[in-house]
Amino acid sequence: MALPRAQRRAAIFLGAPFFVLFAVAFVAPILDALYNSLLKTQHSGYLGLGGSRIVFAGLSNYWLALHEPEFLASYGRVLLFGIVQVPVMIILATVLAFLLEMLSRRWSSFFRATFFLPYGVPGVIASILWGFLYVPGVSPIISLLHDVGISPDFLGYHEVLWSIANIVVWEFTGYNMLIIVAQLKAIPRDLIEAARADGAGTWKTNLHIRLPLIRPALILTVVFSIIGTLQLFNEPQVLITYSPYITSSYTPNIAAYNQAFTDNNVNLASAEAVILAVVAAALSFGFLSLVNRRPR
Amino acid sequence: MTSHPATGGPAAGQKTISRRNLLRLGAGGALGAGLLSGCAMPASSSRLSAQARVRPGQRVNLTFWTWLPVQTVIDQWNRQRPDIQVSLQVIPAGSQGGYQKMYSALRAGNAPDLAHVEYQELPSFMLVQGLTDLSPYGIERYRADYVDWQWQQGVFGNGIYTMPWASGPMAMFYRADLFTEWGISPPATWAEFETAARRVRSRAPGAYLHSFPPSNSAWFEGLAWQAGGEWVKSAGDTWIVDIDNPQTRKVAAYWDRLIRDDLVLVENDGTSAWYKQIQDGQLACYVSADWYDALIEDNAPNTAGKWRTTTMPQWTRGSQAAANWGGSSVAVLQGSRYPTQAMEFAHWFGTNVDTVNATFLLGSGWPALQGAFGTTVLAKKSAFFGHTAYNQAFNVADAHINTNWRFLPTNDAMIDHMNDAFSAAIAGNGSLEKALAQVQSLAIEDMKAKNLKVRAA
Repeated sequence: MALPRAQRRAAIFLGAPFFVLFAVAFVAPILDALYNSLLKTQHSGYLGLGGSRIVFAGLSNYWLALHEPEFLASYGRVLLFGIVQVPVMIILATVLAFLLEMLSRRWSSFFRATFFLPYGVPGVIASILWGFLYVPGVSPIISLLHDVGISPDFLGYHEVLWSIANIVVWEFTGYNMLIIVAQLKAIPRDLIEAARADGAGTWKTNLHIRLPLIRPALILTVVFSIIGTLQLFNEPQVLITYSPYITSSYTPNIAAYNQAFTDNNVNLASAEAVILAVVAAALSFGFLSLVNRRPR
Repeated sequence: MTSHPATGGPAAGQKTISRRNLLRLGAGGALGAGLLSGCAMPASSSRLSAQARVRPGQRVNLTFWTWLPVQTVIDQWNRQRPDIQVSLQVIPAGSQGGYQKMYSALRAGNAPDLAHVEYQELPSFMLVQGLTDLSPYGIERYRADYVDWQWQQGVFGNGIYTMPWASGPMAMFYRADLFTEWGISPPATWAEFETAARRVRSRAPGAYLHSFPPSNSAWFEGLAWQAGGEWVKSAGDTWIVDIDNPQTRKVAAYWDRLIRDDLVLVENDGTSAWYKQIQDGQLACYVSADWYDALIEDNAPNTAGKWRTTTMPQWTRGSQAAANWGGSSVAVLQGSRYPTQAMEFAHWFGTNVDTVNATFLLGSGWPALQGAFGTTVLAKKSAFFGHTAYNQAFNVADAHINTNWRFLPTNDAMIDHMNDAFSAAIAGNGSLEKALAQVQSLAIEDMKAKNLKVRAA
């Protein structure tokens, strides 16, 4: 549908600030990363300290990244993390959303705000906060558990991944819950009343009417969570100062970050970042096509 | 097989590609490849250092990047030298983003004249030609002012690439009151250290003599240095990596035993949990660099007056081998237009007695200035250390550091590998000693990936 000239000009004028910023802050770095991933640095001279040149590397950075066992292991780790943490978080968000439905308006608003509050805390602050709750000697929770005779090690080699999962669930359950609540509110009232008239109790109504109708919200939250899980960075990076068992390639993003900023390998880091983007896209689209299969 | 109505290409979802699109892709690819291969640009900084002419009376402006808050020292210089004005910029600590800032500035061509570069990072800067060779500007005349091994850290081939500032000689901090309480004397050898550790565990079940950091391999590097294990040498054009050598294996096996027998607390030093142990008297001593004095004072003020220092435990009774952890220099980065003036400032910064006192108190570490112990505040007594001249231990250590030690050009990556390998070994009941071989092969791979000539010893 073609817009009249004046409206088209207005659209361009009003949209320009966004598109300029989008191009500069989003598109340009992506293109730069793609470009950088195709280059490499070659050293020459005495002990390699005499001179260096940037040369075209083709896909050798990608080959290197895909043959790095630590980088591949980081994918295994975030996938394991995701398989456990995403269902737990989405189920919890759904349960909370349903519970909110059953409350009166006043209490429902109060709890909605309370559950959403952790999302308002920046990820880094949340990680520092939880970090202190995980440190023995500093954490009141651990002292309490000690008094009862339990000595948990939240920052141990096998435990720290799930401690991170705990932080992520705490941060994002409220956010996902809100998306589901919005979808719940969009369910026409007459459907619920018809169900009640037919004699369905709360449990049956939730299971057979509400749950199928919030499917789009569930799909949305799961896709966001898959992408977020693959990009896991803030929480483990902050917890490095508390736990010695978070390695330099704990998650794909941390691996790429360290390649760029510790090892000074911007080219390899760019290749790793591109690989991560491709995997995230593949998994999200894979999931979407899985749930959107048209019945024959 | 229908074609798309508008372009004549394949319909959506079809796997074949039309001849026209194939030609388009091929042309684009060839053009792109041609553009990229033509980009054999130099990776070094966009600008090389060159001395600009300075007219008499002209004011030269220099910038200095460091993470220590030395503004008062800079103000002092600026008052004395109106012809060379230095402006300070405080950046994040090197390993926490400071070095990346410097590398990025070098690539962009707007690096500062002067920068705080630690000794272990110098080869990495050399790899990107980030430092100015100061020998054409007459740096040789300053050699006698500095401790020789620190001077050598800046020597690569025939050039001298930095001005030393400070180092981190290692000795032992210990809680004299706890030692008396548990009936142990400061261990003179590592064998005595083990016995003392056992004694502490039996006398005070909640406490430990010392900790072992699973992922702070820069500390472990110092211990290997003391034992005489040199991790990297060069032969002609080739780097020789030798991390898995007998001396380092001896150190690793020793700590393996201590960890296995629960004689040391497995905890990274410098963390909140570790400081809590220090405050509560559950860690009785700490083998560390001199610059940790400020950190202990700041984080455990309740233990004031109870600490003393002595030299590190030795592998052979009677020897006095020591090690170094950290150490900084003031380098003139590539691209400076006033290397002569920058060098003059860097020399003053590291050798003027008042400046050395001021920066030492700010935590810069053991001065590189020759004879610093006699002329500066280093010899003063400290209340925190029970009114003893606690730096004497570090002074002795400073005189017995193996000066052959070199750092890898991929030092940060190697330290990361070692951290990962050690923490995995500790968590999986593996052995630190066996992890060394894996670290060595990863370090060699890193250097090969940078196209350096490298081999194992």
